[in-house]
Amino acid sequence: MNDSDTVDVVRDSLTAAKESLVGIHVDAPLDTIVSNGRARRRRHRVTGLTGAVAGTAGMALAVTALASSGHPAGQSGHSVSHPLTARLAAWTVAKQVNGDVKITIRELSDPAGLQSTLRADGVPANVSSSTQIDPSCQAYPMTQALFASIYDAQKGVGSGNTVLVIRPSALPGGAGVQIGASADGRAGDGGLHQVANGNQAVHQSVHHVATLTDNTVLRVGLVYASQQCTGS
Amino acid sequence: MRVRGMEQEPTEFAEFYESTREDCLRIVLLNVGDLHLAQDLVAEAYTRAWVSWRKVRALEVPTAWVVRIALNTHVSWWRRRRREVALGDHDTATLVEQATVVSGDLLAAPRRLTARQREVVTLRLLLDMDTETTARVLGIAPGTVSAHLHQAVAKLRAAIPSHYGQEICK
Repeated sequence: MNDSDTVDVVRDSLTAAKESLVGIHVDAPLDTIVSNGRARRRRHRVTGLTGAVAGTAGMALAVTALASSGHPAGQSGHSVSHPLTARLAAWTVAKQVNGDVKITIRELSDPAGLQSTLRADGVPANVSSSTQIDPSCQAYPMTQALFASIYDAQKGVGSGNTVLVIRPSALPGGAGVQIGASADGRAGDGGLHQVANGNQAVHQSVHHVATLTDNTVLRVGLVYASQQCTGS
Repeated sequence: MRVRGMEQEPTEFAEFYESTREDCLRIVLLNVGDLHLAQDLVAEAYTRAWVSWRKVRALEVPTAWVVRIALNTHVSWWRRRRREVALGDHDTATLVEQATVVSGDLLAAPRRLTARQREVVTLRLLLDMDTETTARVLGIAPGTVSAHLHQAVAKLRAAIPSHYGQEICK
């Protein structure tokens, strides 16, 4: 068998392998790609503008300006001059056929964008960059079973991303989801805590889900749905 | 004029996305072996393609650009992951799901190649580009493409002997 034959055989084998990968789909809808792309363009513009202004004041000031524009040089060691290279989108949201909403989170930047995306997908949601409950929200009591029926979290192999699946159909009437991230780095808070609520034992409404790639801790919970808190 | 051009971009990108995304996902999955990861990488690559669509649309093979971005992001991702903390048994769940989709020597073989060899194999054999175009896309000499392809094919041949046997008997 000569080189050309060998190449042909390997090509056929790889093509057959590729074609055997049936039933898989890109789960990010076009809208998500475009909205993330728009956010990326906006960030590029802000970064460029900030960098240009800072450049007139010298390199030291430029570094400070870029770091404060929402794109820190980062714990992963990327240089400040290329703050977005080799980084995945901060998060993507994909609504599944069964109505579940899958959020892939690298870091919880642009919480307002995630909140509006979830609400657009029919999920009453309050998203913030801290775990302090929004003053306009009231915590909804949550049991372990209720938590498990609404939320499913996985850590992607290789990616370090957190995949959080929300089942809106499991939300009790009048409840909405609450998502937050804190930078306190407490990774050991993995359990729910029982608190007293009259005669009934219920659980604290916020639950640690995962440590994100920027070392913040992602926490989810339930709140009473309202126009001010969850948009509906 | 500029406004009209901007208005055409979304439709053009949408057509590109819809017509190429599944093939790109399969190629990237073949290279990384993890469905969630492949989906993330492809979504990221298309996001970057949207951001740079005016440049990407003018390329000889825009699909090759998307696949390369996804694979290169994967390389950077692995480097960064060494500094990340695993999340206990959540990893297992993804591996189980992955095993149902990608398994066997044939599917695992591309992941034993070097990053450059994977790029060459992907462009030359999976995207069916010729040596000269592959060389231009990768910014290397055609002879270098041939050398990488030769080495990669030798590794793949060793990894998938049973499939060769089937082909030879045709």
